[in-house]
Amino acid sequence: MELIDLAATPEGRHDFVDYLSKICNTLDLDYASYASANPVSGKVVAFTTYPDAWRDHYMQKNLHLSDPTLRSAARSIAPVDWSRLEQTKAFGNVFSQAHDFGLPDIGMTVPIRGPYGEIGLFSVTSRTAPQKWAKLKKHIIADLQLSAVYMHDRVMKSDHLLDILRYPALSAREIEILQWVAVGKSQQDIGDILSISPRTVEVHLRSSREKLSALTTSQAVGRAVSMGLIYPG
Amino acid sequence: MLILVDGINKSKFTTILDDMYKLRARVFQDRMGWDVRVTNGREIDEFDELDPAYVICLDDEYEVVGCARLLQTTGPHMLSDVFYDILDGEPPLRSALIWESTRFCVDRDRLAKGTARNSVSYATCELMAGILEYGKNSGISDIITVIDPVMDRVLKRSDNAPYGYVGKTAQMGKVKALAALCDCTDERINKVRAFAGIEGEIFLDEEIVIAAEQARNPGIMESELHSYCDEQLLCATTERERSDALALKDAITEMLRARRMSDA
Repeated sequence: MELIDLAATPEGRHDFVDYLSKICNTLDLDYASYASANPVSGKVVAFTTYPDAWRDHYMQKNLHLSDPTLRSAARSIAPVDWSRLEQTKAFGNVFSQAHDFGLPDIGMTVPIRGPYGEIGLFSVTSRTAPQKWAKLKKHIIADLQLSAVYMHDRVMKSDHLLDILRYPALSAREIEILQWVAVGKSQQDIGDILSISPRTVEVHLRSSREKLSALTTSQAVGRAVSMGLIYPG
Repeated sequence: MLILVDGINKSKFTTILDDMYKLRARVFQDRMGWDVRVTNGREIDEFDELDPAYVICLDDEYEVVGCARLLQTTGPHMLSDVFYDILDGEPPLRSALIWESTRFCVDRDRLAKGTARNSVSYATCELMAGILEYGKNSGISDIITVIDPVMDRVLKRSDNAPYGYVGKTAQMGKVKALAALCDCTDERINKVRAFAGIEGEIFLDEEIVIAAEQARNPGIMESELHSYCDEQLLCATTERERSDALALKDAITEMLRARRMSDA
């Protein structure tokens, strides 16, 4: 397995590393990384906001082959706090080296499973004290889950073939609800119209937003209109 | 009491997982008549190969008495790949914040009646609370769960009524199945806990469960035999090799049990 750093290529660098930096700023984190293997070509892509020196060292030493924040975390369905991996030998090996580069070992990896069984790994680290980390984690964990899948879907779609495979599959219910949103109905109204609870409406909307890689509902409506899935309101 | 077993720690809990697969065979094939594949008394399907997370319920003697299986809805899961009848051919919900729960069951033969600890009702609520708490602590907002109408009534009775359903109730072999939605909120968790009288931490530390397992199955010889069997299972590349390895494991487990009985 060869680690390909898309951050060094002109088209990848801008969007994805920028996105990671923004997440760090917004959620009060120090560094963020993302890695995944392309399910078709098998190529590994990775982006990071880590300092260049550590990135180069990491790649040169092939640390991705043993790094438990990648290898172990890929086997969880939930975000993995790195404290859970501390006891492994590989953890000591990778993080004693990270320590030499002045990098923290407090962090978490969010594993993402995609529709083709591919796995994306979204990691963040923080320099805060362990007690503060526990609090911060609780506060940002849902945002991190959303950001991780958003980033993963974007990376996968940046591959031409996968982009075609990933045409958003919205259900009739999701389309119906987006259509009601487009004509200006509230979630409560839509729930009443369709005889379902407002939270069920919200769950369908959230699913539609994520399938359309939209961050807001109005963005999702805009995309659905442009794809001809619904009529403009 | 619950133990969370996932792809990271499952090598430490092979006996518990094996007992869970056997429980699932007894419940889903023998009792409920679902169309599931059972090999050597164990119900294992392709989703078990995907490193799901299992919330497993243990009684006070650390015997497996219940379980549920969790998968992300962003990747392959049962509603997308198996239960499409429920969705009437529609694509499933897909969200970073929704997990799917399947294979929820408890051991009615081992658990007592009534509502005290080690009862069917208590274990059911403990499992439900455990799924919701694990989800909530992982940033998950909702669980979509594939259940039969009986389980749907159990949920409603346990002050844990689903807030919504997706798709329709579909015939699955001899029984019906449907997909229900539950929110991973403190409000719901507290209601389930209050209903069953569950207090304090419900998840056990890994170390405690490992120690209890060792106390139940003493002897270095035994653990070596078990790890040999597990290795054989891991190395199996064909169905045939796999079923042979399982048969060997069964035979050895039986032998060791018989030896323990005669020792005692």
